Amino acid sequence: MEIFAKYFTEPLQYEFIQRALLASLMVGVSCGLIGTYIMLRRLSLIGDALAHAVLPGVVIGFMVAGKNPLTLFIGAMAAGLLTSILISFVERNSKIKEDTSIGIIFTGAFALGILLVSQLKQVHIDLSSYLFGDVLGVSDPDIILSSIITLFIVLSVILFYKQLLVTSFDPTLAHIIGISASLVHYFLMTLLSMSIVAGLQSVGVILIIAMLITPPATAFLLTDKLKKLLMLSCVLGVISSVLGLYLSYHFNFASGASIVLVSVFFFLLTLVFSPKEGLLIKKLKRNRNSRINLNEDIIKFINKEAAEINNSNVFEILSIRLGISESKIKSSVKELMRNGILTMTNGAFELTGKGKQEADRLVRSHRLWETYITQKQIEDREFIHEDAEKFEHILTDDIIEEIDEELGRPETDPHGSPIPKARKDN
Amino acid sequence: MTAVSIKNLTVTYHKKPAVKGISLDIDEGAIIGIVGPNGAGKSTLIKAILGLLPADTGELKIFGIKNTDSLKRVSYIPQKEQFDWDFPIDVSEVVMMGRYPHISFFGRPSGRDYEIVNSMLDKVEMKNYAHTQIRNLSGGQQQRIFVARALAQESDLYFLDEPFVGVDAKTETAVFNLIKELKSQNKTILIVHHDLGKVREYFDKLILINQTLIAYGNTDDVFTPEIIQKTYGGRLTILQKVEQLMKD
Repeated sequence: MEIFAKYFTEPLQYEFIQRALLASLMVGVSCGLIGTYIMLRRLSLIGDALAHAVLPGVVIGFMVAGKNPLTLFIGAMAAGLLTSILISFVERNSKIKEDTSIGIIFTGAFALGILLVSQLKQVHIDLSSYLFGDVLGVSDPDIILSSIITLFIVLSVILFYKQLLVTSFDPTLAHIIGISASLVHYFLMTLLSMSIVAGLQSVGVILIIAMLITPPATAFLLTDKLKKLLMLSCVLGVISSVLGLYLSYHFNFASGASIVLVSVFFFLLTLVFSPKEGLLIKKLKRNRNSRINLNEDIIKFINKEAAEINNSNVFEILSIRLGISESKIKSSVKELMRNGILTMTNGAFELTGKGKQEADRLVRSHRLWETYITQKQIEDREFIHEDAEKFEHILTDDIIEEIDEELGRPETDPHGSPIPKARKDN
Repeated sequence: MTAVSIKNLTVTYHKKPAVKGISLDIDEGAIIGIVGPNGAGKSTLIKAILGLLPADTGELKIFGIKNTDSLKRVSYIPQKEQFDWDFPIDVSEVVMMGRYPHISFFGRPSGRDYEIVNSMLDKVEMKNYAHTQIRNLSGGQQQRIFVARALAQESDLYFLDEPFVGVDAKTETAVFNLIKELKSQNKTILIVHHDLGKVREYFDKLILINQTLIAYGNTDDVFTPEIIQKTYGGRLTILQKVEQLMKD
């Protein structure tokens, strides 16, 4: 435990680590907020493009005033905004589509930046720290700049919540109620350029797009509410940055790569294990449902037709009827026998008392449902047209009871078949 | 009063003329259907009136004022395909957007805005779904919430683009009753419609277009076999084909 604590506290004695932590925190927040809108508006490509395209702006800023965060900031902002305007310009004034336009403009701008760097022999720009980030080299002025940017972004997202929401979800409505979608777009591009500047030091241009979209994408798998999504993106961004930073410190990893990999790790973890949308949960649910369905189909089958089957080939018949492999049917039958629903007497399968109850419940559920949709003439829901057989598997006892009550406890279904009565479990 | 006034409107869309030389005046307090074959420019006409597509020529007025300066009195329900149904938003938030024109620039919804949202959800029988994410709704329910949003805007002029496509019969009836209620409050409702079956039942007036205006008038006067034939018949499509040949 002490070693574990030391793992986290030991680096904190260094001032450059404190600064790096602060910088990571701010990258997490600013990229998490802006990235959420970038993801929702499907602007990830533009985000990546802007990150690259700020390079010439940074270099020109450098040429004008040396390593002064303010001129670098202004240069980067101008380059970012100009790039986003150029991208839309090409798209609007030719038949070139947006993705192609992005590809042309951002590589052009990036190449211009590299060319300028190569001409700047007298001024030293560390291109690699710009490309890949160097969070341990963050200076005090960098921190001040990042703080201002982050504060500005947080305030903007709060103050312009309505405008950002309506232009993201329904630009047409925005137009009608007098909110200019293109003004909001360029405002967002400005905020995006700012968050890129804030993230340059810690993750670098190549990887900054990951900080913009990975935490929001992870959060999107966990929630359906915009406000929660914004907050969760920040939290995930901050955690990834801080953890990545520690890994970078202890194992001497490149800081940007380390931060990004942590956030991708969280994404994959969520993709598989998310309680609502996770692949694992979905798979388990599907397996469970199909096993229950199969068990219930077998119960129905044995209940209805047991007398007619020659038991020597019961598995084969079931397999053909239900379209399921024999081995699956065997394992289901075993499960049903274990649970005291099926039994074997004189070499023939039979339902036990409990099994008969279960069969009655299924028939009752099926016939009540049919009666319900026929009587109420419900047809306005698409799911109604699914096979009625499916419903008997999913309707819970509570819903069946509710339907029975609403129908006035009918004796027969629309085909005249008797509806079994509910059995009170003791 | 004239709700919408269109003079000599021509709109090109993807370099092809979509509507040509349309002029008409729509009086308020009526339900007007816009019908015509696919590609006749029905949606284009609406979008041009709303300033969503630029007009090449023509003058557009809403309640006597330039169209784009009068949009705050307008509600528009676009076709459903236009939305990202995975968007992290629930039913009540969608309807609340209808209140945005009544809320100040930096302002937050007031208690009255929430009241209106609730009562509109009640009107379209969607109150139980207020906090449901919109992907989890049926086609009819999705249409209802956009109707509720349009109502929450409390506008005077309503545009609906194919509101009954992919919608169950019960929703269609419910929505149409709300539209009739709007008309009784002297509101004007324009509906792009493709199903000729219910035209007589639904619309006071009818705009029949196939790029050009074929006819406009009281439904009983213009919904005649000859005019329908003229709108949907082969004559214009042959002309279009010839026009295309000329271009090639």
